[in-house]
Amino acid sequence: MADQVDSMSDAELRTKLAEHGFPIMPITASTRKLLVKKLKLVLDNKSKPRTSVDNKADTRRTLARYSSGEESDLDTTTNAKEKRGRRATTGGAMLPPAANKTRRPPVKKGSPAKRDSDKGSESDEEKPVRTREEVETVTTRTIKRTYAANDQDDYETGSDSDVDGDKKTSSPFRSNSRSSDYISSTLPSVDVNISPPKTSVFSRASIIPTSYSSTYSSGMTSSDNLNSIRSRLGLTSSLADRPSIIPSSSYSSNYSTSTYQPSTSTIDEVESPYLSNFTRRLSTLKSDPPKPTSYLDRDTNNGSTVLPRRSYITGVNRSDVVDYKSATDKKFLKNNLVSLALVVLVALFFFCLFFMYIVKKNDITSVADDQNSVIPICQLNIPGNRPGINCVPKEQVSYAKDLLKVIHPELTSRIASYKCGQPGTLPYLTEREIIDIASAKAETADVSQCRTDLNNLQVLLINNPRWGLNVVQLKSLYTKDVEYSPISSTDLIVQQRTKGTVAITLTDPSTPLSCLFINTLYSAGSSLIIVALLTLLGLGLQRAYKYYVMYQKRKSEEIYSMVEQIIDVISQETEDSGEPYISVDHVRDTLISPQNREKMASVWDAAVKFIQRNESRVRMEVQSVDGEDCRVWRWISSHSSPKRSASWQGQAFETQEGSVNNLVVSPTPCLKIRHMFDKNDDNSLLRVKIQDAILEKCDTHCNILHIDIDRTSCCVYVKCASPADAGVVYRSLHGWWYEGRLITVKYLRLERYMQRFPASPAAGPYLTLTRTARRGTWRDE
Amino acid sequence: MGEKPVTELAGVGEVLGKRLEVAGFDKAYTVLGQFLVLKKDKELFQEWLKDTCNANSKQSADCYQCLKDWCDEFL
Repeated sequence: MADQVDSMSDAELRTKLAEHGFPIMPITASTRKLLVKKLKLVLDNKSKPRTSVDNKADTRRTLARYSSGEESDLDTTTNAKEKRGRRATTGGAMLPPAANKTRRPPVKKGSPAKRDSDKGSESDEEKPVRTREEVETVTTRTIKRTYAANDQDDYETGSDSDVDGDKKTSSPFRSNSRSSDYISSTLPSVDVNISPPKTSVFSRASIIPTSYSSTYSSGMTSSDNLNSIRSRLGLTSSLADRPSIIPSSSYSSNYSTSTYQPSTSTIDEVESPYLSNFTRRLSTLKSDPPKPTSYLDRDTNNGSTVLPRRSYITGVNRSDVVDYKSATDKKFLKNNLVSLALVVLVALFFFCLFFMYIVKKNDITSVADDQNSVIPICQLNIPGNRPGINCVPKEQVSYAKDLLKVIHPELTSRIASYKCGQPGTLPYLTEREIIDIASAKAETADVSQCRTDLNNLQVLLINNPRWGLNVVQLKSLYTKDVEYSPISSTDLIVQQRTKGTVAITLTDPSTPLSCLFINTLYSAGSSLIIVALLTLLGLGLQRAYKYYVMYQKRKSEEIYSMVEQIIDVISQETEDSGEPYISVDHVRDTLISPQNREKMASVWDAAVKFIQRNESRVRMEVQSVDGEDCRVWRWISSHSSPKRSASWQGQAFETQEGSVNNLVVSPTPCLKIRHMFDKNDDNSLLRVKIQDAILEKCDTHCNILHIDIDRTSCCVYVKCASPADAGVVYRSLHGWWYEGRLITVKYLRLERYMQRFPASPAAGPYLTLTRTARRGTWRDE
Repeated sequence: MGEKPVTELAGVGEVLGKRLEVAGFDKAYTVLGQFLVLKKDKELFQEWLKDTCNANSKQSADCYQCLKDWCDEFL
């Protein structure tokens, strides 16, 4: 293999690489080696997991799915297994040469696996047995495979013709098998056998089911099932394959024994109904048209001519299908019965609840006549019994109930109108009112009779809180207040009766719908108003906050501007007047006009505070101005000593008269100044700068004729008009710090000076500050 | 790129540069050429660099990235 790759031409190499999914790239002298290496690597990798790769077609097929070698592996194994299974079951009569030619990879070269060679030999054995017709059927089958629906139809009819006959002869058994067909369908074997046609790409997995229909298939079927189960479980090819070989060898011994079949006269008879059920189930349950049927039919019809195809649609089978469908419907119903029943129950429950609620609506007559009501009948032989107080005479119970029925609607309407908020109505009926109503209704002026009835009624009501009426004690009889407290014992009534504060009301008054609606509207309106008010309040608060923030901002801006003005004034005034401080009040009076002074007082105070806290250039202190202590601002800044340049940083030692460093008499008019600049200072304007610095320091008190510098020795040479001038310069420069360097000045003899600078002027115009220095902006650059 | 020597490439130092020169790749643009002939394929280019000058994966990855960036920028 490797040698082959090495000796390939460029073109071959390129096609080979393309087959293996590499991008086609130029094969040059420099890339060839690399590509050859790559190809070898790939070939090596591929030959490892797969057993036969050298076949061109096979390689190409797997190439199509180069990335998923695993899958292709699975395919081949299932394929092989299916072939074997079919071969075994059909006993060598079923394998068509056509299928062999197209599907089987010829095992010619390379390293074929052991099972491949096995297969080959087996197929070779089988070949002679096959008839021409079988070949035909298989080829047509392969063609028709794509037209799934047609396939199914055709083949099923074929099968049914066979099954028909079976069914006619064994109708009792049929019914039997029908009833049990769900059980059989739940067997894993049925399900599992469906899987191969789906998983494999071009396998004739559907051939497997032929084993079912074949007359001696029982043993085979079971072993086949075993296989398919294993493959289903995703076992590796070797595992799945191993058992498949077993049946091929053992089928001859097994086929005669029907291990799990019912003891009927012929296996065929038993199998066919079972199969037809199975296939039908497949066709209905699986969206994928079941190919098993077709093969089964083929096989059962083997050797015979093709029977009328339409027979499936007519006759028993047809009705069977209908049966099955209705059965599935039933089954669906059965499965969902519990949930449906639950739903119905819940609906019923709520309906009942609603109904009861409607009915319950205080139907006082029914309630009062209820047998369960507690009615204390007066019995004369019991001493504690007092009619109208804690018991009711038997004959007066009906009267009391009648009274109740009379007053109940009145009470209801009254409470309704009270609930609706009508003025002047009370939610109860007093005894007096009740008696009035009763006498008006009964048209009898017998008030005492009414009175006793009422007393009895009260006793009844107290004993029957279920009736929904309460005997209450009014808190105050003559006010319009509706406060009352229920009375729960008959003894209390007697006390209250004398006061006349006993009334009857409903325990659970219900509000009429219209009132409810209006009340709701009212409450909604009021809550709306409240919400609106709250919103307004919130808006107002927000507005106020905004305004407050704005006000704060404006104020702080005012303060800042005031502070700036103050600082301007301070710096200006202190500069102008020459005094380093200025009175606070004075500043205020200059800044703020008299009419605004009161108004701006707060701003001014804030600004003063701000300056005190945050302004470093201004210091607040108390000074006596014109004999009066007042607060002043002292301006502290670099401008406070404008005469002193930043370059001159102070004196290191005294050069005043009397000091050791001071020469009494200046010997010469020439000076030599050391360390005024650095050796590395390559400023081109250095001479001008130094000259300015010296002239500024000496401050026109002296007359300097000439200044020059010597960059190599870092010396400055100065020639003055007279030795006295030189003395002034000496005193003002000697021992000073200039730009961080201590400078020293020495006198220099005139002759030496003239030697060094022969062109230096002996008299004439003295040096003055240059223009930049005179402007006062001279700074250390 | 210009006429820069091969050692200018990222990941190619003196040693690798020497080896590449022996193999005929004395300029950076020749390596670029090889890179382009290999269709900018990272795997193949790194393999080639490893074969040619015994580069380690870091060096070859650097070189690949360098050439890739250049190509992205200027091609």
